[in-house]
Amino acid sequence: MVVSVEAMQQIAQAGIKVRLFAGLREQAGWAEHHWPVDPGGEAELTPRQLWWNLQLPGAFDQRIRVAINHQFADADTPLQPGDELAFLPPISGG
Amino acid sequence: MQLRIALHSTAFEPLDLLRRWQEEHTPQGHSASAAEAHFIGRVRGVAADGGDLEALELEHYPGMTEQQLEQLAQACCIRHNVTSCLVLHRIGRVLPGEAIVLVAIGADRRGPAQRCCQELLEALKHDAPFWKREWRTDGSSTWLSGNTPL
Repeated sequence: MVVSVEAMQQIAQAGIKVRLFAGLREQAGWAEHHWPVDPGGEAELTPRQLWWNLQLPGAFDQRIRVAINHQFADADTPLQPGDELAFLPPISGG
Repeated sequence: MQLRIALHSTAFEPLDLLRRWQEEHTPQGHSASAAEAHFIGRVRGVAADGGDLEALELEHYPGMTEQQLEQLAQACCIRHNVTSCLVLHRIGRVLPGEAIVLVAIGADRRGPAQRCCQELLEALKHDAPFWKREWRTDGSSTWLSGNTPL
């Protein structure tokens, strides 16, 4: 498949939107972050890898849940340009 | 199956909204449901550490929270074969004594109504993205890292 330079630039600009909530947001010191996607990159980017790349606080363990595009997802799901990724600290509703 | 879900950013009176919901399901002067189960949750005046609670702050994930509530309610109602469902949940700053959640289920029998109500309540407490922060009277605050025991 041939991809134009413009399309590659759009993909790179789309990137991954990363969101944090509640105590995790306050520990990290930010709520939203844009992670650029390398169109030429061969390795799949996953939430687990992004957690380390972004140097988020603490260990990435089962207390942290992942949502991709508003749906719960596995931490090893490959991310796509344009995805919205959220790291969710322990939920306490109701 | 009739499903209504709403997030309220200001205080609501659960019994008034429950009555209104019942009236909407009373087409010919009698309730459409032979059995109803209701749960109203209110904010305690005591923080997790035993101190006085000033307020509870409820954060949510706009878009995902509503979507998740709807998916949880749909699945639960279908599983229990109930006829109607109402879920109201507060967001923002909630004061002690104020309602934080209302779940109401209409069904043909008490068993499905009660089971669905309890199951949906537990599901939303654990699987709908809400986060509680306790504000104490001394101005300090703590994010809660889980739910109170059943």
